[in-house]
Amino acid sequence: MGAIRTTGLTKRYDGVLAVDGLDLRVERGEVFGFLGPNGAGKSTVINLVLDFVRPTAGSATVLGYDSRTETTAIRRNTGIVPEGATLYERLTGREHLAWIARANGVEADVPALLDRVGLTIDDADRRVGGYSKGMGRRLALAMALVGDPELLILDEPSSGLDPAGIREFREIVREEAADGRTVFFSSHVLGQVEAVADRIGILNRGKLVATGTPAELRGSCGITQSIRFEVTTVPTLDALNAVDGVETTSVDDGVSPSDGSIIEVGVTDAAAKIEVATWLAERTRVRDVVSEERSLETLFDAYTSTARSEQSNARTNGQSGKQNGTWANVQQLRDLEEVEA
Amino acid sequence: MSIRTVVYKDVLDARRSKVVWLVGFHYALLLVLFFAQVHVTGPEHASATIEALWGMAFVGGVFVPAIALVAAYLAIAGERESGSIRYLLSTPVTRREVVLGKYVSRATIVAVSLIVGFAVAAILARLWFGSFDPRVFAGIAALTVLYALAYVAVAIGISAISRSRSRAMLGAFGFYVMTNLMTLNDDVSGIAGIEYVLNDLLEFGVGEGGVQFLGIVTNPTRAYLLSILGVFPSEGTAEMALPDPATLPWYVQPEIAMLVLGVWLVVPVVVGRRVFDRADIT
Repeated sequence: MGAIRTTGLTKRYDGVLAVDGLDLRVERGEVFGFLGPNGAGKSTVINLVLDFVRPTAGSATVLGYDSRTETTAIRRNTGIVPEGATLYERLTGREHLAWIARANGVEADVPALLDRVGLTIDDADRRVGGYSKGMGRRLALAMALVGDPELLILDEPSSGLDPAGIREFREIVREEAADGRTVFFSSHVLGQVEAVADRIGILNRGKLVATGTPAELRGSCGITQSIRFEVTTVPTLDALNAVDGVETTSVDDGVSPSDGSIIEVGVTDAAAKIEVATWLAERTRVRDVVSEERSLETLFDAYTSTARSEQSNARTNGQSGKQNGTWANVQQLRDLEEVEA
Repeated sequence: MSIRTVVYKDVLDARRSKVVWLVGFHYALLLVLFFAQVHVTGPEHASATIEALWGMAFVGGVFVPAIALVAAYLAIAGERESGSIRYLLSTPVTRREVVLGKYVSRATIVAVSLIVGFAVAAILARLWFGSFDPRVFAGIAALTVLYALAYVAVAIGISAISRSRSRAMLGAFGFYVMTNLMTLNDDVSGIAGIEYVLNDLLEFGVGEGGVQFLGIVTNPTRAYLLSILGVFPSEGTAEMALPDPATLPWYVQPEIAMLVLGVWLVVPVVVGRRVFDRADIT
């Protein structure tokens, strides 16, 4: 019995197919990242699973309960962060938590919940109307955690969070998963998904185009990403080529000697980046690191190149490509700082 | 009892909404001003009491629906538009419980604000009008609350079937105009319309009583005004040139009108609940 299971789940809105015969299986205890560009149908799938919208065909179960007929049992055992929903601006954070606890028939340890999501007691006693978007997302996450639910369903949980918030969110997801909870979350940002997910499902145009562990997905489509190091001297790179996940290395000696040299390393596994960075830091002085996250579009194209039209390619690129890159770079640099410290 | 958690949250939320209290306050203020006007300019004492009581019902007839509609028309549609309804539906409640909980919550708020208004009015009536009969006052007050709740039920029903705030507003305003403002003038009222369609167009030859009956069934304001005759002192009906219930057919009696108001308490909510239960919350 999986945590979430859909069978031929289909949703059609006024003739437009939003979800197309989806067979999704999320196992208990895993962190499942549900990835896809905006408009792929991720929210519709979550809304179907939560019975906010009704399927045109097919069915879904959550923790073994039928999504249509056993909704209260599902809600009792599931913490939910819906996408783009506003909180009650006239209520305080504390009142939100108290209400959720009351509705679930549990006690809420308000200070502990606040601490977990990075809100203060002062925040909790303010009306939510005065919260920033990030604070609202944190409160929403705290609400989902009330009563220690078996399953967390988070729809774009990190939208509106700053990099520090995203990082904390990752920590929370990891802690929840370590306690044996199932976490199902959606995102259009690849970096966020692969950083925490045990398994990833990629949704495109209402269809699941791939599922697997992050390594499996990268491996199966052979996508490389590159990191560029600006170094003072270039060590012999033979040993680096032997590191797991490193696919290519190349050296660009630069225009003038004072510029230093650029070493470009292509990796197939994000985890290899840190290994490469440490390896180089031990042998030369690294002046700068630039990690070029391959965009979600690249991964998508690998799976859907034949299915997608040029036009929609251009559109998605314009929308989210830059955002992904910026975030990924910040994250990678933070990781590197940790390694160096 | 999941309805209780919906009520708990909604009362907490709605009681901080200024607009709900503002309309309630205005009704109380209106009653006070009306009583003061009768007190200052009114004729001899006995008539003044009758005039004040009928005025209380008539002022209620126009303003109470507005209060009820404003207090409740966004209860569900507003949350649906802002998306907060998805937090509400993420708790272990069914959609039916959401609709019922909202109904109970808004009905309570409207009833409380009206009762406060009546309490103020009762004190003034006691001071200003000598032959004040508390039973008549209480009867009118009770029927006015019932009338208000019928409109709360309508507003909840409209709110439950509306996808957005603007649709709910259109529905609530439309219902108010059709059943209330138009009722003030008999030539353009629903009654004239019913009579025209049934007798002039279809030539059914429905009698006066039948038309009146259809009038109260399709319009809570008519049902309310008729039901008031049941608690109004009989000397008062003559004095205010109101019809004597004894001259009306059995199915257009104040008791029937009260029953009709009772049906209005239920039907809109049942319809709204059904539609909301099947809706896609996107």
